Amino acid sequence: MGFIRLGALGLIVMGIAYFLVSMYSRSVRREKLEDEWDENPANGDDKSARDAYIAQGMKDYEGSVRKKFIWLIFILPTVAVFALIYLNNFS
Amino acid sequence: MNKIKWTFITLVTLIVLAFFHYVLPQHDIARITSTEIIRTDFSGFNRLFYAQADSGATENPTRDIRLVNTVRDNGKIMVYRNEDTGWIWPPYFKFDSSNLHAEAADLISSRDAPRWVSITHYGWRNEFFSIYPNVVGVKEIAGPDVRIIPWFNIIFLTLLALVVVMLRKMWLQFRERSIDPMLEDMGDNLDAAGDRIGETKGRIGRWLDTWRKK
Repeated sequence: MGFIRLGALGLIVMGIAYFLVSMYSRSVRREKLEDEWDENPANGDDKSARDAYIAQGMKDYEGSVRKKFIWLIFILPTVAVFALIYLNNFS
Repeated sequence: MNKIKWTFITLVTLIVLAFFHYVLPQHDIARITSTEIIRTDFSGFNRLFYAQADSGATENPTRDIRLVNTVRDNGKIMVYRNEDTGWIWPPYFKFDSSNLHAEAADLISSRDAPRWVSITHYGWRNEFFSIYPNVVGVKEIAGPDVRIIPWFNIIFLTLLALVVVMLRKMWLQFRERSIDPMLEDMGDNLDAAGDRIGETKGRIGRWLDTWRKK
């Protein structure tokens, strides 16, 4: 029973952490794209070009390896739990 | 106000420090003198300072608890308990209390021919509350002067600091990108509303003025 409870609680906590970190990461990326465009606007003050540039950048980000690293939020604690079980009981 | 604030901050800091002092592993260098089992009642107020029944067993109001009696390198007595932490809390995932008890029994030594042991444990010993630190591991070491580096605590506290910095960065980003623009909008709307009220007032005022005697 304890195992199931740990699994359920862990999934909830890691899920919340994943959600928050991916929101943060997306926000940072969008801000960076905005700053990039504003520093060196390709089409002057064209707002739709700016929006398109940011949309394209966000689309690239969604498929990027960097985004996939956020999955470590699920992987690392799970690995840590198994490592602790091994170290504390079988070594 | 400042006094209340600082009392609050100090209190929270102390609680957090005490929490980590209780939960994080520490190493004692000691000589095991005996191991024993005592029947313990868990309905008292000190229940919080004990783990639960062994992970394969059912929880009962009383159960046997394994103790490890030791003499520390400074000559003082220390008694540890040896309980499964199981899957729950604190997250040591310790299921091998019986094996650990056998190991501890194997390391028993006398004052004349001491075998020094590094005892990894968490928790506090308090005679008034009848609580004991929980042994997580025992390891024989060369002598009482061996220096033990708390790798786990170093790594854990570093990671914790990183998490705190990350949370702060996330909060600042959220404030900058989500809350501040919202407040600005609200401010703009209020200004606009204020202007409208001003206008309305002007209109009503002008209408009232038409009734005044010139």
